[in-house]
Amino acid sequence: MLSIQNLKAKIDNKEILKGLNLKINAGEVHAIMGPNGSGKSTLSNILSGKKGYEIEGVVDFNNENLLNLETEERAHKGIFLAFQYPLEIPGVNTNTFLKTSLNAIKKARGEKELDALEFLKLIKEKSKELKFDEKILSRQLNVGFSGGEKKKNEILQMSILNPKLSILDETDSGLDIDALRIVSEGVNSLRTKDNSFLIITHYQRLLDYIKPDFVHVLKNGQIIKSGGPELAMDLEKKGYEDFE
Amino acid sequence: MLDIFQSNFDKLVKEKNFSPEELKIKKLNFDNFLKNGFPNKKLEDWKFLDLNQILNSEFENFDFDQAKFDTQIEFFKIIKDFDHNQIFLLDGELFKNNFEFDDLDKIKISNREYFNEKINKNSLVNLNHAFIKKSIKIEVLKGYRANKPIVIYNYISDQAKSSVINSNINIELGENSALELINLSNSPKCSNFLNSYCGINIKDNATLKAFNINEGKTNTIEYNYNEIDLSKNSHLEYFIYSTGSTFAKHEINCSLNQPYGSAVINGVLNLEKDNQHEIKTVINHNDENCRSYQLIKNALNDNSKGVYQGKIFVDQKAQKTDGYQLSRALLLSEETEFNAKPELEIYADDVKCSHGSTSGNIDENAIFYLMSRGLSYNQSRQLLINGFLQEVIEKISTPEIKKLIKKITGIRDEN
Repeated sequence: MLSIQNLKAKIDNKEILKGLNLKINAGEVHAIMGPNGSGKSTLSNILSGKKGYEIEGVVDFNNENLLNLETEERAHKGIFLAFQYPLEIPGVNTNTFLKTSLNAIKKARGEKELDALEFLKLIKEKSKELKFDEKILSRQLNVGFSGGEKKKNEILQMSILNPKLSILDETDSGLDIDALRIVSEGVNSLRTKDNSFLIITHYQRLLDYIKPDFVHVLKNGQIIKSGGPELAMDLEKKGYEDFE
Repeated sequence: MLDIFQSNFDKLVKEKNFSPEELKIKKLNFDNFLKNGFPNKKLEDWKFLDLNQILNSEFENFDFDQAKFDTQIEFFKIIKDFDHNQIFLLDGELFKNNFEFDDLDKIKISNREYFNEKINKNSLVNLNHAFIKKSIKIEVLKGYRANKPIVIYNYISDQAKSSVINSNINIELGENSALELINLSNSPKCSNFLNSYCGINIKDNATLKAFNINEGKTNTIEYNYNEIDLSKNSHLEYFIYSTGSTFAKHEINCSLNQPYGSAVINGVLNLEKDNQHEIKTVINHNDENCRSYQLIKNALNDNSKGVYQGKIFVDQKAQKTDGYQLSRALLLSEETEFNAKPELEIYADDVKCSHGSTSGNIDENAIFYLMSRGLSYNQSRQLLINGFLQEVIEKISTPEIKKLIKKITGIRDEN
């Protein structure tokens, strides 16, 4: 599904990613762990199309060069980024935004757009699954949401848009244990043989709830070690220092 | 330049039979206008907007006869699916009215001579008072609360191209009365100077909600002057939506003259191209326990320029005053300009007054967030602009009118 080859990225002449390689197949869950400043967020930004980076390398997503696509086109093709810090958008109703977003993607894919009633049904169902208070949906997007509500809202968006590749950028940070469980259950319920996940995190804790197939260690802009779930346990014990 | 005004004034005086008292007032006003001329940048109140545009226009005729023009009611683009009473103004003068929902014995509309012995120092107001033939008076009788809003439709006919059009409306709300008034200007393309004066007097316990919507794309130069007086425990809600015309200045001089009065003034300037618009307010807290609130938002595209000058004056005896003003601007291109001049002048010692002003660019991170959810750049940008402006629209306290204004302006939370 996704194949990253020798990806290099610079911002303001500072090299952040220094030749990163990663391959994710359909249905797999990959976790990337790494210390602060290792390039984790840069990787997720670049995959979802944030501007401002000088990029080299190839990112192939279902036989298409992702780097040639605009941010919204990537969303249409099935890439989703759950933001580390979801932005507050004043004056934009959450419900309306979700509907606009879903229909923009459906339209781009040539699928039938949902009318108000169909959308309402979908959102009711999904909010229930994620134990998400529906009242929040009538509020302005992320405005005045608690940290947990913002993160849950990201997962709700993910579940409604049903992407092929979901990138979760430190979704666990700022979550209490209950919220962490709900968010993880949400992610787990979306796991199918067709959908893949790239989970970016500092801590092993999240991986207790979402079992990854592969764990990678990112340090200084490169993946320096890959392995199975046991690698995360190893990291938790030894810290990143030992991985050179 | 001023010659044309002189000859037109002489013609007006000769042709119309003004009473001696009215003529005296007109002459005083006209002399004042001649003495001071059009306002220019040297004046403190006008230092942000370039009035040369007005001066460069070649105005010809000021006198139009409604009878000469075959005006049909269809020209006015009547709002559908919204219950309202209608007043039609043609070239600034009363043309017709149509009251379906309220009793004309309770809301009196008259067209009459204008007397105001107090000569204003503002030369554009002088110009208005010198040239108006009739003043329109809307009077809501004591104790009457209007069932439905009045919409004032303004239409400028072809014969008024390149002219100076003066309109003069006086609104009086009797004790315990209530009225909602929507002033709608949507003129076809024409380049004239529209000089409107509105006097508003709100008596004890009365409430006026006034909505001023300007959305036509025209080359009009507009000046709207509002002189508003509030009595005891009366309330004003004033809303401005200004877009389209080349130049517009909305000036509000609002006096809270007795205790427990309140005034809310909210405005949106949504500008593009070379548009230059300004909202200038002066709120006079002349007595105690009054409240004023102002929220002005600007979305500025292309080479447009937005100005907000807001002054809160608090008299020595106006203790327990609560005054607030905030202006915010979204600068959507490198070339736009926003000027804000907040002023507080306070002589009482037990008051709460605050002001603030911000301006900034659109948040590219927010755009990225929205685009990552499948929205195009333009869709995301428009959503953010609408979201920014919507806060002001949401302040409108009558749901039906809020809905109407969302429909007219396109600022709403659905696509």
